[in-house]
Amino acid sequence: MAEVLRLLQLDDGFDSAAEVAARAAELLGVDGLTVSLATGGERAELMWCTDEAAGRFEDLQFTLGEGPGPDAVRTGAMVLVPDLARVGRGRWPALSIESVGLAARAVFCFPMGIGAIRVGVLAVVRRTTGPLTDGQVGDAQVLAHALTGRALGSVVPGMDGTVPADTADTLLHAVVHQATGMVSVQLGVPLPQALLRLRAHAYSSGRPLTDVSRDVVARRLRLDLNGNGSPSPVSDKD
Amino acid sequence: MAREQEITKVFVEVADSLIDDFDLIDFLQQLSERCVGLLDVAACGVLLADEHDVLQVLAASDEDTRLLELFALQHDQGPCVECYRSGEPRTNINLDRPSAAQAWPQFTPAARHSGFLSTNAIPMRLRGKVIGALGLFQTTDHALSDADTALAQALADVATIAILQQRTLAHSETERGQLQYALTSRIVLEQVKGILAERWHVTTDEAFAAFRGYARAHHHQLSRLARMIADGEFDTAQIPRAAPHHPRR
Repeated sequence: MAEVLRLLQLDDGFDSAAEVAARAAELLGVDGLTVSLATGGERAELMWCTDEAAGRFEDLQFTLGEGPGPDAVRTGAMVLVPDLARVGRGRWPALSIESVGLAARAVFCFPMGIGAIRVGVLAVVRRTTGPLTDGQVGDAQVLAHALTGRALGSVVPGMDGTVPADTADTLLHAVVHQATGMVSVQLGVPLPQALLRLRAHAYSSGRPLTDVSRDVVARRLRLDLNGNGSPSPVSDKD
Repeated sequence: MAREQEITKVFVEVADSLIDDFDLIDFLQQLSERCVGLLDVAACGVLLADEHDVLQVLAASDEDTRLLELFALQHDQGPCVECYRSGEPRTNINLDRPSAAQAWPQFTPAARHSGFLSTNAIPMRLRGKVIGALGLFQTTDHALSDADTALAQALADVATIAILQQRTLAHSETERGQLQYALTSRIVLEQVKGILAERWHVTTDEAFAAFRGYARAHHHQLSRLARMIADGEFDTAQIPRAAPHHPRR
């Protein structure tokens, strides 16, 4: 998986998306995969797609608005379906009718996002039934997380290239989540943009994201709409 | 009440909650509070490993940010990480010994600074695999007895069962899905602390106290309500605001 993660870092603007996706599917040992970005509302935008079987299943579930992919996006938890034919009718009624005859026989969906920030979903498809191994599940999760960081740095126009890829655990600190919530209220922007402002500020001021977040939470720093910080007028001494 | 009676009472309460449609984070927090009482320790936290094998705090006996950060420091060093990696309990570690400062140069001084003198870590096990750890802090060097350690292990097992018992919106039937749902819920909660703190002009700790008080009083599930707030689907004006500059405990 390290190889795919390296490709992700080199890949500029996903020019070679098809290539990277195919290589990722090969390394994961699956028949195909798709990556869809949640673009708000019910729609999702297909960013990676290795083949028609994977693409058609992804299209179908997001058109119908039901299936393992939409569930994974909504809950932030992976949904693993080792045999599509054996899913109870009531779970995804429309999908169970419409997916008959598709080449995809097993689908595994891994959410991309951070808490209430929903970025999209990585869907792994197989033409044969059966579960993924623990190792495959772990690799897919790591890939989904890397794609999350990547997508969060590129979804806001004008911010491309200014936000460095954060290390896995900087994006996982409680204080960063708290600061994200605070900045979203301060600037009146959705959570993903709030996180991006924080990251941009950390990058431009050359400080770690966790330090900047701590300052925001302690109200020593307040970001303005341009991502610049100013010392907070009301300082909370404790 | 005799200790045995107290233990029995706690386990009956725990079994009751697990039958209901319970909120995982709230449940684990109450379990942590009971650990503090039953084991006579100062603080307790439940840590779960994420997909990077990094321990994340799911709940603690006290939601005080300082304590949460102390548990969070154990993402790459400290007794909880060692316990998670080895699967063996690490008990009665005296934080004043030079060996502790040497082994965990960031964690040990931070724990001492918070007034803790000794610490324990108990593995959370699931069918031969370790999924996290229960961390216990003491302000004295009073050693946990073998019986205490066995009780702590039983409480850690209850935490594991609760994580697997939670009813996720996705009917996520796989254990790994359940673990991921738990971790995501915790992150949403942190984001909502920030949202409420800013709306109400209070600290994140005060915001959380008011939020949890409201959820409990109105029988809302904490995690579900947090998700609704983060998605803008719940009018937070309904929640009585936390009083700013609330005196600290």
